[in-house]
Amino acid sequence: MLTNKRLILAHFWLAFIVFAVALVLGAWQMFVRSPLNAWHINPELYYRSVTAHGSAMGYVFPTLIAMGFGYAITEASLEKPLVGRSWAWAGFLLVAAGAVVAMVPVSLGLASVLYTFYPPMIGNPFYYIGVVMVVVGSWIWVALMSINFVAWKRENPGKPVPLAMFANVAGSLLWGWTAVGAALEILFQILPVALGLRSSIDAGLARVFFSWTLHAIVYFWLMPTYIAYYTIFPRAIGGRLYSDAMARISFILFVVVAMPIGVHHLFADPQVGAGFKFMHSVFTGLVALPTLLTVFTICASAEIASRLRGGRGAFGWIKALPWSNPIMLATALSLVMLGFGGAGGLINMSYQLDTTVHNTQWITGHFHLIFGGAIVIMYFAIAYDLWPHLTGRALESFGLMRTQLWLWFIGMIVTTFPWHYVGVLGMPRRMAFYDYANPAISPEAFSVAMSAVGGLILLISGALFLLVLVRGQLGARGEADAYRFAVPLHMPVRIPAALNSFGLWLALMVGLTVVNYGFPIAQLIALNETSVPAVYVGVGR
Amino acid sequence: MTDQSLFSLRNPWFSAGVGITGAIVVLSAVAGLIWLPLMQPDLKLVGIWDAICSAAGVPRAAGPGASIKPDFKTSNVEMTSEMLTQADQVSIGRGATLAQRCAICHGPQGVSDANSPNLAGQFAAVTYKELNDFKAGARVNVVMSPFAAAMTDQDMKDVAAYYAYLPRVPSKSLDTALPAPAIVATGAPMRNIPPCGSCHGDIDNKAGSPWLGGQSEVYIKAQLQAFASGGRRNDISQQMRNIARQMTSDEIDQAARYYAAQP
Amino acid sequence: MTTDTEHSLGEAVAQRIERRWATLSIVIVGLLVGMAAYIGIHQATMPQGRVETADPRTLHISGEFIESNLGSAVEADGSVTVRAIGQQYSFTPQCVVVPAETPITFRATSADVVHGFLIEGTNINTMLVPGYVSELPVRFKASGEHVMPCQEFCGIGHQGMWGKVKVVDKAAFLNMAAAKRRLTCVD
Repeated sequence: MLTNKRLILAHFWLAFIVFAVALVLGAWQMFVRSPLNAWHINPELYYRSVTAHGSAMGYVFPTLIAMGFGYAITEASLEKPLVGRSWAWAGFLLVAAGAVVAMVPVSLGLASVLYTFYPPMIGNPFYYIGVVMVVVGSWIWVALMSINFVAWKRENPGKPVPLAMFANVAGSLLWGWTAVGAALEILFQILPVALGLRSSIDAGLARVFFSWTLHAIVYFWLMPTYIAYYTIFPRAIGGRLYSDAMARISFILFVVVAMPIGVHHLFADPQVGAGFKFMHSVFTGLVALPTLLTVFTICASAEIASRLRGGRGAFGWIKALPWSNPIMLATALSLVMLGFGGAGGLINMSYQLDTTVHNTQWITGHFHLIFGGAIVIMYFAIAYDLWPHLTGRALESFGLMRTQLWLWFIGMIVTTFPWHYVGVLGMPRRMAFYDYANPAISPEAFSVAMSAVGGLILLISGALFLLVLVRGQLGARGEADAYRFAVPLHMPVRIPAALNSFGLWLALMVGLTVVNYGFPIAQLIALNETSVPAVYVGVGR
Repeated sequence: MTDQSLFSLRNPWFSAGVGITGAIVVLSAVAGLIWLPLMQPDLKLVGIWDAICSAAGVPRAAGPGASIKPDFKTSNVEMTSEMLTQADQVSIGRGATLAQRCAICHGPQGVSDANSPNLAGQFAAVTYKELNDFKAGARVNVVMSPFAAAMTDQDMKDVAAYYAYLPRVPSKSLDTALPAPAIVATGAPMRNIPPCGSCHGDIDNKAGSPWLGGQSEVYIKAQLQAFASGGRRNDISQQMRNIARQMTSDEIDQAARYYAAQP
Repeated sequence: MTTDTEHSLGEAVAQRIERRWATLSIVIVGLLVGMAAYIGIHQATMPQGRVETADPRTLHISGEFIESNLGSAVEADGSVTVRAIGQQYSFTPQCVVVPAETPITFRATSADVVHGFLIEGTNINTMLVPGYVSELPVRFKASGEHVMPCQEFCGIGHQGMWGKVKVVDKAAFLNMAAAKRRLTCVD
């Protein structure tokens, strides 16, 4: 039962428009820094573009998807209209306005500090204010998800909350708490300096705050994808979800351990003690657990669907899967990319292996494969799945959808595999251009050119995706059935309170954050002599 | 089961959740804060508290060690991005008076044809730093050194503020049609030469880097050569010497000619 | 139609398989963490042991990072300490010279914004954060030349921030060190 279709569509459309713009920038960046281009450009344009690409793809696009999908899940799974509809619109408008406020100074070249901020470099204050507006807008959504969750539980005492909603609330709570790190950094460290109230900043402390957000934000991006794995995929291919409880445990694990692990981004930093780096690295290992559980459950669910369709044999069932179904295809491609990306992630999580690849193109390759690949391809699948229910018009270009998904997959592989390779060779990331004529980096030239071709393929796929959606929006009207989520193989009748609520897990999440971050943050705050002069950017002439 | 009993040791989810998490925290803390540091002989730890403190990241100031002192004077100015960026009318007025004695070489409006630097519109922090360096002996010039020696810190700030206040005047060799040579536009990355504009204000400004547009070609060239040869060493931690010594003499000529023709 | 007993039987089987998989996952994770700890001890590759501070405003005025003290120094115990700074947009010294097969300690910090360096063809890779000193024990196996780019975005000139490392034969290095107390390969 989807009543607020315009609200949800507005989120998705804005998300995909932002995505399209950022995708064009991304493809352009790939081209200008490759040997296909004679590198005579103003490097500032490149960093300006990277800032816009990163901010749009990292902060705006996935946040809008999570919000829009979250509203859809609330209405469809709880089978009642969203509580707080006007607040939801307010949140949407705040995110939209924040995106504009942030992007104006960026496009003027006044805040080319990249989306990871990098104090003591300080850009135009409106860039940071815009980002804060986006975050605050999304916090309205976070609150609404919990409000709807609690309201439904009050009306349905003792009943298990539908898995989709449970996972959705898990994602929103994860985001609510993980965004606090960057919010503290911006509000208490960067903005006072950007506004000229203070002229020095502790860059080390800022990096610790940002790491609090930086890693778990990826799990926030991942949440809609995992929700789609668990609750859309089995239904779309005519199967059942293998296990409801396992799914809940996976989402709970994300809530608890996704947060207190961010310091693994600071392995090479001098301002955090080795002991805390080790503790964070242990918890980083734990966060692989829910993903391993998910892979198992999803593959098992696929097998169930296949056997229901008559698939047999130890591996023969794979052939019997409905491969022409775009959701099937997207999920399979997504899992492949998740597998490669996850393997790379295991390398990054270990201090010893990380030193080989830290801040090289490997890292860029890694998170593009995970986020741009495994995660975003499921955003496409979610849109394809939801669109007929939102527009009331059938989405019939299945061939086009499959082509689009394949192109995205191929484009992502062609882009990121060479990136991983040149990263191992030691190519540093985020440089506007490279002198490929130099023998020290000429071996990297071919791979970089190849990844630029990948960028072009991704651009084509992105255009096809928008074409499918627009065609859907203009298609013939048809009555879509009620939107449903996958049913578990064994429907839970009663489940333990722990798997139906978040109190305990929130307490653990906050507690672990305090344990793992409390001391490093407290002692850096107490340390005054490491406050260093701000370096204002975009203030030429 | 109600939420009330959720936070109770009798609830297996609670006891397992909290117990396992707590156990992992304790184990990883013991390993990371005590065991691993003590296993590293290089750290020369004295006891368990030292291990915990160092692994927890309790900071200490860098040890003084025996530093080799320079056999030449270096700049002692602490440059920051916001240094002298706020114009002050009183300071500009005082500077105008003080600057009269500079006019012989630098022109009454801060612009001259004498191949000495044009100061009109120069960033205040730059003029201030150079005066300071002349006074400290980090930069030496037979004409400037005696002038600077007699100036107080406030004098230097005032003169710098005055020249920053004067409008830039395009030089006689202005030619905006002249294309930027590669060495200026993109530098030479593998020789550690960034684009000139990334510091000198055309794209972004690094504190202490002068505006080069309209300076005398002869002057720019002479300074680049002095940086390259080590004849001039008042750039903090070699920031300009690192670049100039990597430039070919052709590139130095091109850069000097280009900036002389800029507004 | 499944009966109730079949249903609960199926559920029990499902749960058993699930539990096995969960156990396997936990073992995998445990193995990975154990591996990290083991390598940390036996290959002596742990993150920097101590946090040290240094004021970027006055690096060039006093302390161990003044210009004349930067470069490679031979210590009493035969090891070599390399002191360097990162700044927009170069490392000083721009070219670092070190001996092969010798324990070397890099001590470096930033004079302005966040930088980092990696030495291509090696596992040497660290961050420079203004206000803090980075210390890194390294060892070069063979003589040769490496490039040393800044690997963290540090401003518009970031792409031009490439230093060099020259690894020379140990005897040759000691010869050079006899004549000069701080060595670089600049010029």
